[in-house]
Amino acid sequence: MFGLIGHSTSFHDARRKAMELGYDHIAEGDLDVWCSAPPQLVEHVEVVSPSGKSIEGAYIDSCFVPEMLGRFKTARRKVLNAMELAQKKGISITALGGFTSIIFENFNLLQHQHIRNTTLEWNRFTTGNTHTAWVICRQLEINAPSIGIDLKKACVAVIGATGDIGSAVCRWLSKRTGVAELLLVARQQQPLVELQKDLGGGRILSLEEALLEADVVVWVASMPRTLEIGSYQLRKPCLMIDGGYPKNLDSKFSGDGVHILKGGIVEFFKDIGWSMMELAEMDRPQRQMFACFAEAMILEFENCQTNFSWGRNNITLEKMDFIGEASVRNGFSTLNLKPQFEAAIA
Amino acid sequence: MPILESPEVAVVDSPDGFSSGLPDFTTVSYKDAYSRINAIVIEGEQEAHDNYISIGTLIPEQAEELKKLARMELKHMRGFTACGKNLAVEPDMQFAKQFFSSLHGNFQEALKDGKLTTCFLIQAILIEAFAISAYHVYIRVADPFAKKITEGVVQDEYLHLNYGQEWLKANLENCKEELMEANKVNLPLIKSMLDQVAEDASVLHMDKEELMEEFMIAYQDSLTEMGLDNREIARMALAAVV
Repeated sequence: MFGLIGHSTSFHDARRKAMELGYDHIAEGDLDVWCSAPPQLVEHVEVVSPSGKSIEGAYIDSCFVPEMLGRFKTARRKVLNAMELAQKKGISITALGGFTSIIFENFNLLQHQHIRNTTLEWNRFTTGNTHTAWVICRQLEINAPSIGIDLKKACVAVIGATGDIGSAVCRWLSKRTGVAELLLVARQQQPLVELQKDLGGGRILSLEEALLEADVVVWVASMPRTLEIGSYQLRKPCLMIDGGYPKNLDSKFSGDGVHILKGGIVEFFKDIGWSMMELAEMDRPQRQMFACFAEAMILEFENCQTNFSWGRNNITLEKMDFIGEASVRNGFSTLNLKPQFEAAIA
Repeated sequence: MPILESPEVAVVDSPDGFSSGLPDFTTVSYKDAYSRINAIVIEGEQEAHDNYISIGTLIPEQAEELKKLARMELKHMRGFTACGKNLAVEPDMQFAKQFFSSLHGNFQEALKDGKLTTCFLIQAILIEAFAISAYHVYIRVADPFAKKITEGVVQDEYLHLNYGQEWLKANLENCKEELMEANKVNLPLIKSMLDQVAEDASVLHMDKEELMEEFMIAYQDSLTEMGLDNREIARMALAAVV
């Protein structure tokens, strides 16, 4: 069985969803009640691959909401409790969605392996970052040419280049895609220098400088709320792939020639009878989902239930190849810009 | 929406783990708070002993098994008494008796009326979940001696929870109505007991929010195991909120 650990995008949405599902005790509660609420296994789902293989899964809502990010202990408990529930339910591979893996990584939860009478088995969990990185790279390769960007001549900026997903994207773009130039942007300089050395290329720039030069911008860092950038600073055409969490680039950039694509989103080849992706504001919630969730499903389809994506900077090109091939084989395709998307359906 | 780089996400408390921030076990304020918390635990274990013996009178064929459980509770009581002595704290037993009085009264009344479901709900579900959750939180901030004792107790407590759970599970169809009714009356008592002890608990570095969450996890686990569905559990848990 595969599992997905997710959460609502806001406290308001969480209460609305809880009311719909009949969880009146928390729907009516204030944020303090939610801080004390246990994780909930809200949905079981069956998914069948194009080859006819059937797998079962479960969606666990951690009862975390982004409003809790300021409460370190609460956020930590939400993640660990949801992971404990997944393990107690016997789920063999669970993806950590939304803020879950970010909290796990940034708050160093690796040191909290013992939760009550459960010892968390890390090989039951995956961040899903390998699939997310592969999907973002494919989205770039498919969509940039569709809006007239020749990747052989293109300048690609990766914002958040030194992160787990960012560094994998950089490696793929420099070794596989063969873009004209890679612009590396991140907050800390030292890891950037090391990444540049590792890649054997790429130019380190500030965010503002990179935005002026880039034909394609891959965002895999969360967008600072305060950042305001007019589209006049961008090249045209410009493809922006919003691979961070939460996905809020469309509220920051707009204008002719600027194409914004939700990054790290995949679509299954047919409808899945679940309701939870509505929470994530997917355009087609019956089919679309975060690539990290899809990674758990793919690993289950492939009988490869292990912590495929784990830790930081462990994503190799070989692993991306593996998950990418398995993704296609099991009925997933990347989310693409609308016109091409509609043409594909037609 | 806040993001991880936002200033409001600046780490408020130490991120280096459950073991961080142990209280000073020797201060007057710690010992004062401990005199009440320790007494509650001792009294709780004593009442658990008495309650299991009483439940045995309603189901004589299980009396021997229940006696075994009751003896285990007495062993726990002695362990926690030793924890108080170790810190040179005199437990405030009068406070503890008062603390349990409402729940105690409800149990005695149910016992008199032969309401086994209510007795099991109060002792094997509510009190045990309350105890387990408090012990889990306490283990993270206890002095080394008490930590060891409490870890041993937690393992036993899981056995008790399962025992009452199994009986209720086997009899769920016939006892659901009484279970819901008894829950509506008694779950709010647990909530108010938690509120009452929150201040002392915080002196011991036990966070009320965490205590409540641990309780809800144990309570929910127990009801799920009994065969209640998510909606039924949500309806029951509502009594803790309003």
